[in-house]
Amino acid sequence: MRRSNIHSKKGFRALIFLFIALILLGIPSYFWTKKSVSTLAGRYNSPLSPIIMIPGSSASANRFDGMISKINKKYDEHHSVLELTVHKNDTITYKGSIRNGDTRPFIVVGFENNDDGYENIKKQAYWFNIAFEALKKRYKFNNFDAFGHSNGGLIWTYYLENYFDDDTIDINRMLTVGTPYNFEEVDNSKRTEMLNDFVKKRDKLPADLSYYSVAGTKGYTDDGIVPIGSVDSGKYIFESVIKHYTLITVTGDTAQHSDMLDNQQVISLFHQYIINDGVNPPNNANKPGKAKN
Amino acid sequence: MEDLYRNSFEKKLVQWTLRIQKLFIYRVIQRTVLTIFPFVLIGSFAKTFQVVFLGDDGFLGKLMPEINDNVFEQIDDVVSAISNLTIGWVSVIAVFAAAKYTAKYYKRDDQLAGITGSISLLIIAYVYSKRSPLAFHSSVLGVRGLLFAILLGIFIGYIFKLTSKEAKNSKFKAMTSSILNRTFTSMKSISLILLISVIFSDLVNITFYSNLPESVLTSISSTNPSTAPLMELLHTFGFGAYTIIMSFLGWSGPYSAIETSYSDPASLANLSYALTHHTAWGAPNLFNGNTLYHAFATFGGTGATLALLIAILWVSRDNDLLTVSRWSLIPSIFNINSGLMSGIPILFNIVFLIPFFLAPMVNMLIAALALQLHLMPPSVYAVPAGTPGPLIAFLGTNGSWQALIFSLITLTVSVFIYLPFVRIAERVKTIDNLDRDERSAKNEKK
Repeated sequence: MRRSNIHSKKGFRALIFLFIALILLGIPSYFWTKKSVSTLAGRYNSPLSPIIMIPGSSASANRFDGMISKINKKYDEHHSVLELTVHKNDTITYKGSIRNGDTRPFIVVGFENNDDGYENIKKQAYWFNIAFEALKKRYKFNNFDAFGHSNGGLIWTYYLENYFDDDTIDINRMLTVGTPYNFEEVDNSKRTEMLNDFVKKRDKLPADLSYYSVAGTKGYTDDGIVPIGSVDSGKYIFESVIKHYTLITVTGDTAQHSDMLDNQQVISLFHQYIINDGVNPPNNANKPGKAKN
Repeated sequence: MEDLYRNSFEKKLVQWTLRIQKLFIYRVIQRTVLTIFPFVLIGSFAKTFQVVFLGDDGFLGKLMPEINDNVFEQIDDVVSAISNLTIGWVSVIAVFAAAKYTAKYYKRDDQLAGITGSISLLIIAYVYSKRSPLAFHSSVLGVRGLLFAILLGIFIGYIFKLTSKEAKNSKFKAMTSSILNRTFTSMKSISLILLISVIFSDLVNITFYSNLPESVLTSISSTNPSTAPLMELLHTFGFGAYTIIMSFLGWSGPYSAIETSYSDPASLANLSYALTHHTAWGAPNLFNGNTLYHAFATFGGTGATLALLIAILWVSRDNDLLTVSRWSLIPSIFNINSGLMSGIPILFNIVFLIPFFLAPMVNMLIAALALQLHLMPPSVYAVPAGTPGPLIAFLGTNGSWQALIFSLITLTVSVFIYLPFVRIAERVKTIDNLDRDERSAKNEKK
């Protein structure tokens, strides 16, 4: 250490400045951390808040790929996508993954048995519960948003009424597109068995949920498959039970039942209500514009 | 001469460095990095202010006085304008400098080569969007794009050499016609380069929207890593090493020095454990990015450069090194080391490659050992952005003194790892200067 004794005066002064600065910064932040950890323990919101999506009947887990790439392109965002398929024997296969640091990933849950009908919806809700428990265990999130297309919305409703009773996890908002709460029934007064069941158990729905239901119409009556009256029947289930229930009608070029996922209005609504759900700050990690150096 | 070196390793590294420094491409790179230094330095101050005071979870954000939202927005806008157009724009300056030096070396019109270089990079980074005209892919323009920018600059200078004639020094008094003449000698090169850039930029836009780089990264940085401790340890070390090497080349790896991510399942499991048990001791995942890399490998930014700064302030007598270090001191406290990276320079500087890699790796190793032997708790809580490096472990464990002590130990170890290399850097500089003096003396005699 021959030369180390001959340090420069300027350098030495800077070193002293550095250590004083570290100590001065350390003391207040120590107390601040103590305080913030105790508030954190009280109410903690996980940064990861996935958007969980269920496709309609006869569609599989890749049903939303087109819509997701449209969203990524339109809003310059890069949400990662995880696709789950639950098989008839209760096993799950995974495709894709959640990128590290992505707080708003899309998780799509599809089913090997994706048939229509009330009995199948009950089964699918049961399978969805299996997938949801696995996701919760794996990713440790404590809040999420829900999206369902067509019968996917029915699976959500059945799931929320019959399986979802966890205090440790919050559903922030839900958006469904063309969900037939009364199946193909046009007349609101003729309730199907499923609608009756849903209405009966409506008190089980989470009270702080905001729900947006989108209906498409062509020629004033239906979207080609689902009558608007059937979508509208959702009001008997949700109105005045949850925090907000909103019905939105979309008309025009791509308002047909299966095309609605490509509809620009639906994509805007999805981005406005689900991705920017107001609970979480806008996700900068997905924005390429914010450089991280 | 022999006694100048302390050991054969030092001698070898010095000689090797001197040899590499003679390479044309290396000289261009080093000069370019130094050219961008003033802008990077100013930008790093703006960035520090932005991260530490203005950020949502900035380290000193709580200290900001309550001010009117409008005024706050104004301050935020002004500061981000400065940081975005210095650090966030640095590759445009770099490509200018690199093209200029290369063209000058080949005695071509260096001014035009530099401008063509900047335009070419901007074309490549241009976003083909109907929504926002004149937008750029910012990741190409910032520090991340530096290596690419320098290589592009050299390439452009080389194209000028191939396709244009030698440019005579224009006299300022000369008539406009001679300036026009000069311009037309370079016309072919300029058009050719712009054409190549447009083709390239179209490719960039295609890959950007096809998410190709994204999906490659996603497949490596999967969020379902093995939970076996050994695999986790290797995973963290691998990512750390990758990040460090990438930063050395001006890119960035999966780990950021400023923002830490707590959304990976391993960290979330740790956090929920700590919140239920009211202690960080015994958290399930000991070896993830937060407990090892962010807490112990990023003192002063990637590469534990705070240790280098201390080493320089401690032993160096070289005025340049000292000045740069003192100017970079404040940003470095908050883990922003871009000033130091381009001023010393560390970027692409083979002298510092070894400690830049070794210091953080050794730190992580010490920390992993300490964690395995339960000498300190793992850092599980989120720390605010811009938390000084040596305090991250302390705050991340909710004030564990053991963690603070280990931070100081690892910092000291890093300083000692950097020390010999500071001497080598000084030595290389002295010999280089002597050489130059000798050469110019000879030239004068002739």
